[in-house]
Amino acid sequence: MLELRQLSRNFGGVKALDQLDLSVHKGEILGLIGPNGSGKSTTVNVIAGLYKPSSGSLTFNGIDLSQRSTHERAAVGIARTFQNIRLFANLSVWQNVWAAHVVRDSGWTGLRKRWLASGRTARDEVQELLAFSGLAGKADVLAGNLAFGEQRRLELARAAASGAELLLLDEPAAGMNAEEIDELDARIRSLRDQGRTILLIEHHMELVMAVCDRIAVLNFGRKIAEGTPAQVQNDAAVRGAYLGAEATATT
Amino acid sequence: MDFYLGLAQVIGVHTLLGLSAWCLLHTGQVSLAQGGFFAIGAYASGMLTTMAGWPLGVALPAAALISATVAVAVGFPALRVKGLMLVVATVAFAEIVRLVCFNLTWRVNTGSGPVGPDGSLGFGGIRYFPSNGWSSIEILILIWGLVAAVMLALAWFDRSRIGTLWRAVGEDEVAAQSVGINLTAAKVSAFGIGGAIAGLSGGIFAHQVTHIEHGNFTILLATFAIAYPILGGLASLWGTVLAVIFIQGFLIEGLRVLGDWRSLLFGALILLVMLLRPSGIITSPIGRWFARSIRFDRPAAPTTGGKTHA
Repeated sequence: MLELRQLSRNFGGVKALDQLDLSVHKGEILGLIGPNGSGKSTTVNVIAGLYKPSSGSLTFNGIDLSQRSTHERAAVGIARTFQNIRLFANLSVWQNVWAAHVVRDSGWTGLRKRWLASGRTARDEVQELLAFSGLAGKADVLAGNLAFGEQRRLELARAAASGAELLLLDEPAAGMNAEEIDELDARIRSLRDQGRTILLIEHHMELVMAVCDRIAVLNFGRKIAEGTPAQVQNDAAVRGAYLGAEATATT
Repeated sequence: MDFYLGLAQVIGVHTLLGLSAWCLLHTGQVSLAQGGFFAIGAYASGMLTTMAGWPLGVALPAAALISATVAVAVGFPALRVKGLMLVVATVAFAEIVRLVCFNLTWRVNTGSGPVGPDGSLGFGGIRYFPSNGWSSIEILILIWGLVAAVMLALAWFDRSRIGTLWRAVGEDEVAAQSVGINLTAAKVSAFGIGGAIAGLSGGIFAHQVTHIEHGNFTILLATFAIAYPILGGLASLWGTVLAVIFIQGFLIEGLRVLGDWRSLLFGALILLVMLLRPSGIITSPIGRWFARSIRFDRPAAPTTGGKTHA
């Protein structure tokens, strides 16, 4: 579904991504892990269109993404959450999700579609997503006034509302407690069961190991391992990257 | 009595001007070009009624359309800059418009002598209202009828999907793009609609005062335009109206006795409001009560409950 080929991204002399090859298959939950500064967030930003790759190719369902702007990538089916939450703080919870939902039926075809459907379905779907995120009772609350965990849930609901096939989740568990992480686990699985594909970037290893079908490991912008959670856990290069070379030698 | 009628007319015209800046502020753009669009609307409509002999009912929409076209043209390059640089760019545009007004001389002969813009002497004789026998009250009704129509349209617009998308862009451009909102479309459409409203207010202004000149369209006018919605807050259209009444009615006219000290007080009050109520006066308890009691401009609030099934 999503293919990164020989993708590089330099910031000045720093190679944030160095000839990265990565495939995300339809319907899977792919984990992307690695130590701090290994290029995980850069990968998301390149896929979402906030950064242009320095070289390499990027295709989504056969579409070359390199010529597409950020909002066009959302239109072809890629949505994301942000590591540091970026909600529309002075809009209500409902409007946050609604904005992401309605933007896909803008333009003439959307106008005709809405005319025929008289706008009912959009409202129902937004309401369902809010219920799914446990925010149904807070529809009128301003997003900026939500508790931290609720803001993360709202961001996920907003990304899902855009109708995207591929969700890029950039550290969705950061700052969450154990109970919230369990809920997140269930939500990610549920989104996958609805037919979405998920690229999960996360530092919380328990969540990654539990929820992901496959995991890719980055270090210094290169992919050092890829495989099932069990394979990755036992990979010498991965242990080296996380624990240091000496630890690898002794284990 | 005439004084109060005149003041109510000025407040109406400035409310329209403030609403035009309100549109742009929604998408997070601080534009000081509104005075320029206002000037274009004023000159265009004045020239259409005096030189071309058009009726006002046709000249006003035409002026709004001309201003909107120019605003869209300004909107595209303005996309490249934001924040302070946008302020600088739009100030430059407004100054260009003012200087064009200063230098524009185009006189044509009609039955009652030459009319048209006369360079630095300004553009006088825009006498559509007096020569068609409009009384001050009738002009006032026309102005506030237009204010009401624009407010109703904007209130509907704010609740509609496009209004929500505008607000989303104003809140966070990166997040807005990543959910699929086209920044260019959102910002340029805000420029276009804001430009049309500014052009409309300029057109009314030209006919209300009958003589316009470059000095009407200085940076002070643009500052007023942006001060109204900032002072009034973006939460409600009524905030802008209240801010115009406060600034034009109280600060400008009510404190005339203070002479030059007025300008000082004006600046101090704006600062005070920004410090005490950073999101505008309408968010204060009184403002909220006022907005609640007049329901039509509330942002889209869904009916919760009933259909909550996961």
